[in-house]
Amino acid sequence: MISLVGLNHHTSPLTVRERLASLSLEHWIEKIPRPCGEDFGAVLLSTCNRYELYWTGGLSQELPISEWQREVGLDLAPFLYRLRGSSVARHLFLVASGLDSLVIGESEILGQVRRAYEHSRACGLANKPIHMLFQKALYVGRAVRSATGIGWGQTSVASVAVQLAERVFGDLKKSRILILGAGKIAELSARHLASQGTREVWIANRTWEKAEDLARRLHARPVAWEEVFLKMSEADLVFCSTASGEPILRRSQAEDLMKKREGRSLFLIDLSVPRNVEESVHSLDGVYLYNLEDLRGIVQMNVSKRLGEMDRARRLVFEKAEEFHRWHEALLLGGEYSFKYDRKIA
Amino acid sequence: MLETIFFKISFGLYLLALVFSGAYLFIRREVYSRWVWRLYGLGLSFHLTSFVWRTKNFWEIAENRFYLPINTFFGALSYLAFAIGIIFWLVEGRHRLNILGAFVLPWSVLAAGAAMFFADPSLSGLVPSLQSYWINIHPLVLMTAYAFLANAFGVGVALLIQEHQVKSRKPSELCYRLPAIEELDQLQYRLIAGSFPILSIGIVMGGIWAYNAWGRFWGWDAKETWALITWFVYVGYLHLRLFSGWRGRKTVYLAMLGFACVIFTFFGVNYLSELHGYLSGG
Repeated sequence: MISLVGLNHHTSPLTVRERLASLSLEHWIEKIPRPCGEDFGAVLLSTCNRYELYWTGGLSQELPISEWQREVGLDLAPFLYRLRGSSVARHLFLVASGLDSLVIGESEILGQVRRAYEHSRACGLANKPIHMLFQKALYVGRAVRSATGIGWGQTSVASVAVQLAERVFGDLKKSRILILGAGKIAELSARHLASQGTREVWIANRTWEKAEDLARRLHARPVAWEEVFLKMSEADLVFCSTASGEPILRRSQAEDLMKKREGRSLFLIDLSVPRNVEESVHSLDGVYLYNLEDLRGIVQMNVSKRLGEMDRARRLVFEKAEEFHRWHEALLLGGEYSFKYDRKIA
Repeated sequence: MLETIFFKISFGLYLLALVFSGAYLFIRREVYSRWVWRLYGLGLSFHLTSFVWRTKNFWEIAENRFYLPINTFFGALSYLAFAIGIIFWLVEGRHRLNILGAFVLPWSVLAAGAAMFFADPSLSGLVPSLQSYWINIHPLVLMTAYAFLANAFGVGVALLIQEHQVKSRKPSELCYRLPAIEELDQLQYRLIAGSFPILSIGIVMGGIWAYNAWGRFWGWDAKETWALITWFVYVGYLHLRLFSGWRGRKTVYLAMLGFACVIFTFFGVNYLSELHGYLSGG
């Protein structure tokens, strides 16, 4: 019998998950007396959103729970879910497909499932049902993403902005980026852009020290506020998130800028409130201005597209979980089941 | 006989590829655009075989020996369809625009279809004025330039769509499947800049041939006039793009105007021109 005990972001607060996260697979395997002479396998899936233990064998579900409670000194009963038999595969396949994630369809979880499985293998804790369960989960996770639109589009403002910029300039590795402002949003955007490996990132702020400080942390170059227009004529992508009450870029200035740029496209992202860039700039040829609402609108559209794919994705998951269940039942009865021909053999 | 069968097979393959490129436009599964490329490649090889066969038959008439059979409407259209197709095949193979087929292949299929259904494929002896080595060069060079320009037109349509997508602030799935605006702009420029010397040389060659055949370099024949107008439109394109900072939408409109001139020079003028009429067989 396959069992699962765990808690996730739906059932528990972050503080509880944080306290559990420090307990590794080895840690509690040592503590819990395993039933002798029985084929035993276990995997611990520990991420910031979930802490789940999968195992096969006759071990009681209460044993790991009481061990966890002892370690964290909390009553975990209200946060926990316990599953057995066919519902375990169903749950794991949903998790691997990103259908149980905070951001539906996110793909990071697939790597986390793979690492959890590899860790169990390295510990010598993967037996036949565990191998099949996790290999099937990884397969289902990939299949669901390619057969449905569950992983469609980007779901954060910064990643949508980057994706759009790529639709204007192609590979951003050759692009230069200017960031106006040195606040929290500027920093987040800059971090995301720096991770794309752009050619150069410039940071400008009215207070030179702040620009210098942020630039140092991000390996970017600080730019004096007086040079902003010069840099705008060289940069491809301009992020604005300053607290300025007055627009920084007006239409007439943008017209001059485009003459200097010899028609090369300019992508402006204005995340500030009130706006830093005049709306009419967008109507200029070769200028593309997106503000926070535009980007949020796209994020929402992508999320709702993903949600629309939920039913199809779930159906696929349940179908595969059922297949796994038939395989496992056949195994328990001492036979073999063929996934290919969907029937019991031998 | 074999020539006709091969030509029909290639036309069938072109048509099928066109259906796939239309399907890609609406359903957008990459596997369709891969099939467009494969089918077109196969069609082009049938087409080439058919052309070689036709040339062999053409040469059986003694005075045609070693001239290419592109003196008739059929020959010219067939070559044009082939040239557009081969440039598309190379551009798509390298850049994988996926959507390009939907805008370029109709021109190739139209040329091949017009050849098949409306042009007379029979072969006859060349009239004395066309018995010149120039017939192997002048029309071929010009039609190659036209084929480049047809591809530039297709890239231009893709550029307009992409530009509209990003400008709309509500990009659809199509936006993420099309290449970037700057890449399309560069590609269109390269295709036009690449075809321009070919176009110029083709026109000058026509002048030299005219001088040899009719004793004058330029005669303001309708075809000559329209070729010159086309040439000026593309001069305008290159000038504005290189020296006046024109990019994106405006240049695409200009390139489209240029391509409209190309079409008129190739098809429309046949009804106006005495000397360049394929219809008259001259």
